[in-house]
Amino acid sequence: MRDQPIMRRIRWQHLGVLVPLFLLGVAERAIAHGVVMEYTATQAYEITAAYDTGTPMAEAQVAVFSPDNPSEPWMTGTTDAEGRFLFSPPSPGNWEVQVRQAGHGDVMVVAVEEGAIADTPSDEPADTAAADASAAAQETAAEPPAAQSGGGSTQAFTGLQKGLMAGSVIWGFVGTALFFSQKGSLKKR
Amino acid sequence: MHIPDGVLPPQVCVGGYAVTGLATWYSLRQINRRENPSADVPKAALMTAAFFLASSLHVPIPPASVHLVLNGLLGVVLGYFAFPAILIGLFFQAVMFQHGGLTTLGVNAAMMGGSALLAYFIYSCHPIAKRWLGEQWSRLTFAFIAGASGLGFAILIFLGLVITQIPTGFDAQMERTAIYGLALAHVPMMLLEGFFTAAIMLFFYRVKPELLPD
Repeated sequence: MRDQPIMRRIRWQHLGVLVPLFLLGVAERAIAHGVVMEYTATQAYEITAAYDTGTPMAEAQVAVFSPDNPSEPWMTGTTDAEGRFLFSPPSPGNWEVQVRQAGHGDVMVVAVEEGAIADTPSDEPADTAAADASAAAQETAAEPPAAQSGGGSTQAFTGLQKGLMAGSVIWGFVGTALFFSQKGSLKKR
Repeated sequence: MHIPDGVLPPQVCVGGYAVTGLATWYSLRQINRRENPSADVPKAALMTAAFFLASSLHVPIPPASVHLVLNGLLGVVLGYFAFPAILIGLFFQAVMFQHGGLTTLGVNAAMMGGSALLAYFIYSCHPIAKRWLGEQWSRLTFAFIAGASGLGFAILIFLGLVITQIPTGFDAQMERTAIYGLALAHVPMMLLEGFFTAAIMLFFYRVKPELLPD
């Protein structure tokens, strides 16, 4: 309650100063106390990042680059404990998502199609979108377009496939060793 | 430990390939000067297989999974063969399991192979301590130091590269904390690799000492 008289005094006495400030938008935050919350249903893409051992990349940093500007990130944030990250691209194109933690990371291109974008106007600046990323994940109805999942940057092989691949490479090395040891023994003769 | 694609800027990747090219040329020249250059190829091929497999053996130490690298061991056992062996091993890891990457193959090979050569030089100093420790114990001690420092040097190079090359748009402080955490997680791995290197060296020394480089 003590604030009110002071505020009033400032308003009347320094009106000449405050009005230009108001117009510049500098004093807007200081004076406005009311909060307006809204929600819109939008479509979002969920990124899941995990190490190749299957452990999710929790708290990893994410940078999303728009198709128009590949050098400055359109949005940054961190993944949750399950390695998930949500973002809703406002325009179609190839969106580049970079995930990084302790020098480990990957780059993935998310191809956003024309029809996948919701019609809701999104003139929200990128910075606030970044700050609200986690909140947006809970508040908005996050529906990936027709629940399609984009191909990851690395194909997931089954244990058997991996074993077979490793086995064939190992056999290549062993074969090389056998070949050269035979050649050596021929030389001795 | 392996730096994946897209983490480093192109200049660093090209620089890595340049260093790797030079080191490979130097190693092959040293090998070619030997009396029978292909004599050690079977041993090198088998050690490459071990190196290739080692990175699949993960040890879960937070914040990231840590795995054996064995570059110190390759340096101690193979000498100059270690560099081409590591280069080939890394190539197959990148192609088969997307572990590391083809653009960063040069950087990774320079990082791990260079450290392996350093480990070899450390191990080849073992006659210094022979007078006090005796032949076997001086070899063991130097193999341990070489195995541990082979990984240690690689971590230091990794740290230097990754910390100086945090791209804009990422929270540098948070990333640095994560990197230091990862480096700390490698300290027990250094000890493990040291013991492992010493054990393998001892095995070769007892069973077939001519397999070890001078």
